[in-house]
Amino acid sequence: METAALKQQLKKQIVEFLNLISVNPDDIKDDEPLFGEGLRLDSIDSIELIVLLNREYGIVIEDPKEGRKILTSINTMADYIEKHRTK
Amino acid sequence: MFYIHQSSCISPQQTFKDADLTVLHGPVEKQLKAIEPTYDAIPPGVLRRMGKAVRMGAGSALPLLQEHGKTDGIIIATANAGKEDCVKFLDQIVQYEEGMLTPLNFVQSTPNAIAGQLGLITKNHGYNITHLHQGLAFENALMDADMRLAEYPDHQYLLGAVDDISVSSYTFEEKEGWHKQEDISNKDLYNADSPGSIAGEAAVMFLVNNIAAGAKAKLVAVDTLHSTDEHIIKERLTFFIQQHLQNNKADLLLSGEDGDNRLAHFYDMAAAVAGNETPIAHYKHMCGAYPTASAFGLWIACEIFKAGALPEHMTGSLLKVSYKNILLYNSYRGYQHSFMLVSVA
Repeated sequence: METAALKQQLKKQIVEFLNLISVNPDDIKDDEPLFGEGLRLDSIDSIELIVLLNREYGIVIEDPKEGRKILTSINTMADYIEKHRTK
Repeated sequence: MFYIHQSSCISPQQTFKDADLTVLHGPVEKQLKAIEPTYDAIPPGVLRRMGKAVRMGAGSALPLLQEHGKTDGIIIATANAGKEDCVKFLDQIVQYEEGMLTPLNFVQSTPNAIAGQLGLITKNHGYNITHLHQGLAFENALMDADMRLAEYPDHQYLLGAVDDISVSSYTFEEKEGWHKQEDISNKDLYNADSPGSIAGEAAVMFLVNNIAAGAKAKLVAVDTLHSTDEHIIKERLTFFIQQHLQNNKADLLLSGEDGDNRLAHFYDMAAAVAGNETPIAHYKHMCGAYPTASAFGLWIACEIFKAGALPEHMTGSLLKVSYKNILLYNSYRGYQHSFMLVSVA
């Protein structure tokens, strides 16, 4: 899958998993921060995203510090998925 | 007992904020589903995590809490709230072989999620409790509020009941024969002469305290019993009326009849005990059958006092009324029964 297509799929999955009812996937910018500002996600959302990576891409994140870096933006998530996906 | 000052209701009818009971909204796919508002009072980040029951409960309660001052506690009744998320969580356990599970459905899967969310959103650290007794959950919440107000006479409580139609509970109840097989209009509910009813849902909230001034209504008495024996229920209802009503006569019997012909004899009995001269009105064609529907009945009673009229679909003919008291009788599946007496404040 090309990077652009992966990012688009990831945006749709995030909106669906987190039930972001008022967010259009196309409106999420690739470099927009997911936490704190931008989408304003919180700690419960971070667990949902870790589960998303596991279920959809077979990625297991065990180190919380590593998780923080991976979940920074769509760019960082897509980059990690391309390198580590098992499905 | 206590006084009811404010109320709020999200139901299958136009009951939220500007209530209009003259137009009767019908069932969709054999279910009377709530007309949900836009929930402006709930922060979007919180709203997206709420299941339907929590959303309806918080959505009906928050305007009362925000507009009418502080409360000293939150007392909620529900038989099924949280079940949908509970089933989703259990499905995840099976689907992902007890592997990684998302926290959201787990967090929402307990019945006390409604009272808990209300406490968190409004920063209310007072008494916070949820009553779960199937068809008598709301009546137990009423008695709890009564005991709290006897112990703390200056307090004010948010008191309410919430139950929703979930896919899982509807399927189970349908298999148990509690929903009508035929697709009927709610206008014909009481003439169907068949088992089962139309599934319904609602969230009803009241602000209650001991202050008579400005109150919508007074809850005079409530009684409950578990029995399938019509004679025992008749004896108890007769005693209830003798104890609480002058001349042993109510101005109106607000019947919880739900169109299930297996339960009709209980309501016929209640009508006979109330007396031939006592007019009867119904409400379950408006909200459907669900465990805490008697809370909707109480809300309707308050509206009758306020409006001084009953829409035609509740009685068969338009009645202009000046009732001083209303007797409510409800049976949940023929084994849980409740009587309530409400009067003008």
